[in-house]
Amino acid sequence: MGQTVINLDIPASHKHLNVLGASLGALFERVDFLTDREMLTYNMELALHETCTNIVEHAYQSKEDGRIRVSITLSETDRQLVIDLYDKGISFNITEAKEPNLDEVQIRGYGLFLMRQLLDEVIYTPSKVENHWHLVKNL
Amino acid sequence: MNLKVEQKDELTVVYLEGRFDAYSAPDVNSQMESLSEKQETPQLIVNLQDVVFVDSTALATLVQAMKRCRQKDGDLRLSDLKQPVRMIFELTRLDRAFEIHVTEEAAITAYRA
Repeated sequence: MGQTVINLDIPASHKHLNVLGASLGALFERVDFLTDREMLTYNMELALHETCTNIVEHAYQSKEDGRIRVSITLSETDRQLVIDLYDKGISFNITEAKEPNLDEVQIRGYGLFLMRQLLDEVIYTPSKVENHWHLVKNL
Repeated sequence: MNLKVEQKDELTVVYLEGRFDAYSAPDVNSQMESLSEKQETPQLIVNLQDVVFVDSTALATLVQAMKRCRQKDGDLRLSDLKQPVRMIFELTRLDRAFEIHVTEEAAITAYRA
Protein backbone atom coordinates (compact mmCIF):
# COMPACT_ATOMS: atom_id res chain seq x y z
CA MET A 1 0.00 0.00 0.00
CA GLY A 2 1.07 3.63 -0.20
CA GLN A 3 2.08 5.62 -3.18
CA THR A 4 3.55 4.51 -6.50
CA VAL A 5 5.11 7.04 -8.86
CA ILE A 6 5.96 6.28 -12.47
CA ASN A 7 7.78 8.87 -14.56
CA LEU A 8 7.87 8.68 -18.33
CA ASP A 9 9.42 10.94 -20.91
CA ILE A 10 8.00 10.20 -24.36
CA PRO A 11 8.30 11.69 -27.86
CA ALA A 12 5.40 14.00 -28.66
CA SER A 13 4.09 11.92 -31.54
CA HIS A 14 0.88 9.98 -32.11
CA LYS A 15 2.95 6.89 -32.84
CA HIS A 16 4.23 6.54 -29.29
CA LEU A 17 1.12 7.31 -27.24
CA ASN A 18 0.24 3.60 -26.94
CA VAL A 19 3.10 3.33 -24.42
CA LEU A 20 0.96 5.22 -21.89
CA GLY A 21 -1.93 2.77 -22.02
CA ALA A 22 0.42 -0.16 -21.56
CA SER A 23 1.94 1.52 -18.48
CA LEU A 24 -1.43 2.33 -16.91
CA GLY A 25 -2.72 -1.18 -17.62
CA ALA A 26 0.30 -2.77 -15.98
CA LEU A 27 -0.01 -0.45 -12.97
CA PHE A 28 -3.73 -1.19 -12.45
CA GLU A 29 -3.23 -4.93 -12.94
CA ARG A 30 -1.69 -5.21 -9.44
CA VAL A 31 -4.10 -2.98 -7.55
CA ASP A 32 -6.51 -5.10 -5.53
CA PHE A 33 -9.33 -2.69 -4.69
CA LEU A 34 -10.37 -1.74 -8.23
CA THR A 35 -13.90 -2.93 -9.00
CA ASP A 36 -14.15 -2.51 -12.78
CA ARG A 37 -10.53 -2.75 -13.83
CA GLU A 38 -11.17 -3.10 -17.57
CA MET A 39 -13.40 -0.03 -17.81
CA LEU A 40 -11.20 2.06 -15.52
CA THR A 41 -8.05 1.17 -17.45
CA TYR A 42 -9.72 2.04 -20.74
CA ASN A 43 -11.13 5.33 -19.46
CA MET A 44 -7.89 6.50 -17.88
CA GLU A 45 -5.92 5.50 -20.95
CA LEU A 46 -8.36 7.50 -23.08
CA ALA A 47 -8.17 10.58 -20.81
CA LEU A 48 -4.36 10.46 -20.82
CA HIS A 49 -4.26 9.80 -24.56
CA GLU A 50 -6.57 12.76 -25.30
CA THR A 51 -4.37 15.04 -23.20
CA CYS A 52 -1.28 13.93 -25.11
CA THR A 53 -3.07 14.26 -28.47
CA ASN A 54 -3.87 17.84 -27.50
CA ILE A 55 -0.19 18.44 -26.65
CA VAL A 56 1.01 16.83 -29.91
CA GLU A 57 -1.43 18.76 -32.11
CA HIS A 58 -1.71 22.12 -30.33
CA ALA A 59 1.40 22.64 -28.20
CA TYR A 60 3.84 21.09 -30.67
CA GLN A 61 1.63 21.55 -33.77
CA SER A 62 2.37 17.97 -34.90
CA LYS A 63 6.07 18.75 -35.40
CA GLU A 64 7.05 15.56 -33.55
CA ASP A 65 10.36 16.84 -32.19
CA GLY A 66 8.99 17.75 -28.77
CA ARG A 67 8.82 15.69 -25.62
CA ILE A 68 6.08 15.05 -23.07
CA ARG A 69 7.00 14.37 -19.46
CA VAL A 70 4.39 12.28 -17.71
CA SER A 71 4.25 11.57 -13.99
CA ILE A 72 1.67 9.01 -12.86
CA THR A 73 1.02 8.81 -9.13
CA LEU A 74 -1.20 6.09 -7.75
CA SER A 75 -2.10 6.46 -4.10
CA GLU A 76 -3.67 3.26 -2.83
CA THR A 77 -4.23 4.79 0.60
CA ASP A 78 -6.16 7.76 -0.80
CA ARG A 79 -7.56 5.71 -3.69
CA GLN A 80 -6.55 8.38 -6.13
CA LEU A 81 -4.78 8.54 -9.47
CA VAL A 82 -2.94 11.78 -10.25
CA ILE A 83 -1.31 12.37 -13.63
CA ASP A 84 0.87 15.41 -14.34
CA LEU A 85 1.97 16.17 -17.88
CA TYR A 86 4.51 18.79 -18.93
CA ASP A 87 5.31 20.12 -22.38
CA LYS A 88 7.50 22.90 -23.78
CA GLY A 89 5.24 23.75 -26.69
CA ILE A 90 2.88 26.62 -27.40
CA SER A 91 0.48 27.40 -24.55
CA PHE A 92 -3.17 26.63 -25.05
CA ASN A 93 -6.05 28.86 -23.94
CA ILE A 94 -8.31 26.35 -22.24
CA THR A 95 -11.03 28.96 -21.67
CA GLU A 96 -11.42 29.36 -25.44
CA ALA A 97 -11.94 25.63 -26.00
CA LYS A 98 -15.59 25.20 -26.90
CA GLU A 99 -17.69 22.42 -25.42
CA PRO A 100 -19.19 20.30 -28.19
CA ASN A 101 -22.91 20.68 -28.84
CA LEU A 102 -24.00 17.11 -28.15
CA ASP A 103 -27.34 17.66 -29.88
CA GLU A 104 -25.50 17.93 -33.18
CA VAL A 105 -23.09 15.49 -34.76
CA GLN A 106 -19.68 17.08 -34.69
CA ILE A 107 -16.38 16.11 -36.16
CA ARG A 108 -14.06 17.90 -33.72
CA GLY A 109 -14.12 19.01 -30.12
CA TYR A 110 -14.66 15.75 -28.25
CA GLY A 111 -11.14 15.43 -26.82
CA LEU A 112 -11.29 17.90 -23.95
CA PHE A 113 -14.94 17.01 -23.36
CA LEU A 114 -14.00 13.34 -22.88
CA MET A 115 -11.18 14.28 -20.50
CA ARG A 116 -13.57 16.30 -18.36
CA GLN A 117 -16.18 13.53 -18.39
CA LEU A 118 -13.74 10.78 -17.46
CA LEU A 119 -11.74 12.62 -14.79
CA ASP A 120 -12.62 14.34 -11.51
CA GLU A 121 -10.22 17.21 -12.04
CA VAL A 122 -8.60 18.73 -15.14
CA ILE A 123 -6.36 21.74 -14.48
CA TYR A 124 -4.22 23.35 -17.14
CA THR A 125 -1.50 25.85 -16.26
CA PRO A 126 0.15 27.55 -19.24
CA SER A 127 3.72 28.74 -18.81
CA LYS A 128 6.53 30.12 -20.93
CA VAL A 129 8.83 27.51 -19.42
CA GLU A 130 6.63 24.40 -19.31
CA ASN A 131 2.88 23.95 -19.72
CA HIS A 132 1.32 21.72 -17.10
CA TRP A 133 -1.77 19.49 -17.18
CA HIS A 134 -2.90 18.15 -13.79
CA LEU A 135 -5.40 15.30 -13.97
CA VAL A 136 -7.06 13.64 -10.98
CA LYS A 137 -9.28 10.57 -10.77
CA ASN A 138 -10.75 9.31 -7.52
CA LEU A 139 -10.80 5.52 -7.68
CA MET B 1 -4.20 -1.30 -37.27
CA ASN B 2 -5.51 -3.83 -39.77
CA LEU B 3 -8.41 -3.16 -42.11
CA LYS B 4 -10.10 -5.91 -44.12
CA VAL B 5 -13.04 -5.47 -46.48
CA GLU B 6 -15.60 -8.10 -47.45
CA GLN B 7 -18.35 -7.55 -49.97
CA LYS B 8 -21.55 -9.34 -48.96
CA ASP B 9 -23.81 -8.78 -51.97
CA GLU B 10 -24.87 -5.14 -51.85
CA LEU B 11 -23.26 -4.54 -48.43
CA THR B 12 -19.63 -3.75 -47.69
CA VAL B 13 -18.34 -4.96 -44.34
CA VAL B 14 -15.19 -3.33 -42.98
CA TYR B 15 -13.33 -5.24 -40.26
CA LEU B 16 -10.99 -3.14 -38.16
CA GLU B 17 -8.49 -4.67 -35.77
CA GLY B 18 -6.27 -3.07 -33.13
CA ARG B 19 -6.02 0.50 -31.91
CA PHE B 20 -8.14 3.01 -33.78
CA ASP B 21 -6.53 6.30 -32.74
CA ALA B 22 -4.91 9.48 -34.04
CA TYR B 23 -1.98 7.42 -35.34
CA SER B 24 -4.01 4.91 -37.38
CA ALA B 25 -6.98 7.16 -38.27
CA PRO B 26 -5.50 8.91 -41.38
CA ASP B 27 -4.94 5.55 -43.10
CA VAL B 28 -8.41 4.28 -42.14
CA ASN B 29 -9.91 7.56 -43.34
CA SER B 30 -8.35 7.32 -46.80
CA GLN B 31 -9.40 3.68 -47.21
CA MET B 32 -12.97 4.44 -46.11
CA GLU B 33 -13.05 7.43 -48.45
CA SER B 34 -12.09 5.31 -51.44
CA LEU B 35 -14.72 2.70 -50.47
CA SER B 36 -17.51 5.26 -50.42
CA GLU B 37 -16.27 6.89 -53.64
CA LYS B 38 -16.34 3.60 -55.54
CA GLN B 39 -19.99 2.92 -54.83
CA GLU B 40 -23.06 4.72 -56.06
CA THR B 41 -24.96 4.16 -52.82
CA PRO B 42 -22.43 2.97 -50.22
CA GLN B 43 -23.94 0.68 -47.62
CA LEU B 44 -21.21 0.01 -45.11
CA ILE B 45 -21.01 -1.93 -41.89
CA VAL B 46 -17.96 -1.30 -39.72
CA ASN B 47 -17.39 -4.31 -37.50
CA LEU B 48 -15.50 -3.15 -34.38
CA GLN B 49 -15.24 -6.53 -32.66
CA ASP B 50 -11.44 -6.54 -32.71
CA VAL B 51 -10.94 -2.85 -31.97
CA VAL B 52 -9.41 -2.49 -28.52
CA PHE B 53 -9.19 1.30 -28.32
CA VAL B 54 -11.05 4.22 -29.91
CA ASP B 55 -10.14 7.89 -29.37
CA SER B 56 -11.75 11.18 -30.42
CA THR B 57 -9.89 11.20 -33.75
CA ALA B 58 -11.32 7.77 -34.54
CA LEU B 59 -14.80 9.05 -33.68
CA ALA B 60 -14.24 11.98 -36.06
CA THR B 61 -13.10 9.57 -38.79
CA LEU B 62 -16.24 7.46 -38.44
CA VAL B 63 -18.49 10.55 -38.40
CA GLN B 64 -16.87 11.85 -41.61
CA ALA B 65 -17.21 8.44 -43.29
CA MET B 66 -20.86 8.15 -42.21
CA LYS B 67 -21.60 11.64 -43.59
CA ARG B 68 -19.97 10.76 -46.93
CA CYS B 69 -22.15 7.64 -47.21
CA ARG B 70 -25.35 9.51 -46.29
CA GLN B 71 -24.59 12.22 -48.84
CA LYS B 72 -24.91 9.48 -51.45
CA ASP B 73 -28.12 8.10 -49.88
CA GLY B 74 -26.19 5.25 -48.31
CA ASP B 75 -25.24 4.68 -44.68
CA LEU B 76 -22.45 3.53 -42.39
CA ARG B 77 -23.58 1.37 -39.51
CA LEU B 78 -21.55 -0.04 -36.65
CA SER B 79 -21.55 -3.48 -35.08
CA ASP B 80 -19.90 -5.57 -32.36
CA LEU B 81 -18.67 -2.73 -30.14
CA LYS B 82 -16.83 -3.73 -26.97
CA GLN B 83 -18.39 -2.23 -23.82
CA PRO B 84 -15.74 0.48 -23.16
CA VAL B 85 -15.91 1.53 -26.83
CA ARG B 86 -19.71 1.67 -26.73
CA MET B 87 -19.51 3.85 -23.62
CA ILE B 88 -17.51 6.49 -25.52
CA PHE B 89 -20.24 6.63 -28.16
CA GLU B 90 -22.80 7.05 -25.37
CA LEU B 91 -20.80 9.79 -23.59
CA THR B 92 -20.51 11.81 -26.80
CA ARG B 93 -24.12 10.91 -27.76
CA LEU B 94 -22.84 9.60 -31.06
CA ASP B 95 -24.81 6.44 -30.30
CA ARG B 96 -27.81 8.51 -31.48
CA ALA B 97 -26.14 9.57 -34.72
CA PHE B 98 -25.01 6.10 -35.77
CA GLU B 99 -27.15 3.03 -36.18
CA ILE B 100 -25.35 0.61 -33.85
CA HIS B 101 -26.03 -3.13 -33.84
CA VAL B 102 -24.96 -5.76 -31.36
CA THR B 103 -23.82 -8.11 -34.11
CA GLU B 104 -22.86 -7.87 -37.76
CA GLU B 105 -25.73 -10.24 -38.60
CA ALA B 106 -28.19 -7.84 -36.95
CA ALA B 107 -26.77 -4.96 -39.01
CA ILE B 108 -27.13 -7.00 -42.22
CA THR B 109 -30.72 -7.93 -41.33
CA ALA B 110 -31.56 -4.28 -40.59
CA TYR B 111 -30.17 -3.14 -43.94
CA ARG B 112 -32.24 -5.74 -45.78
CA ALA B 113 -35.45 -5.19 -43.82
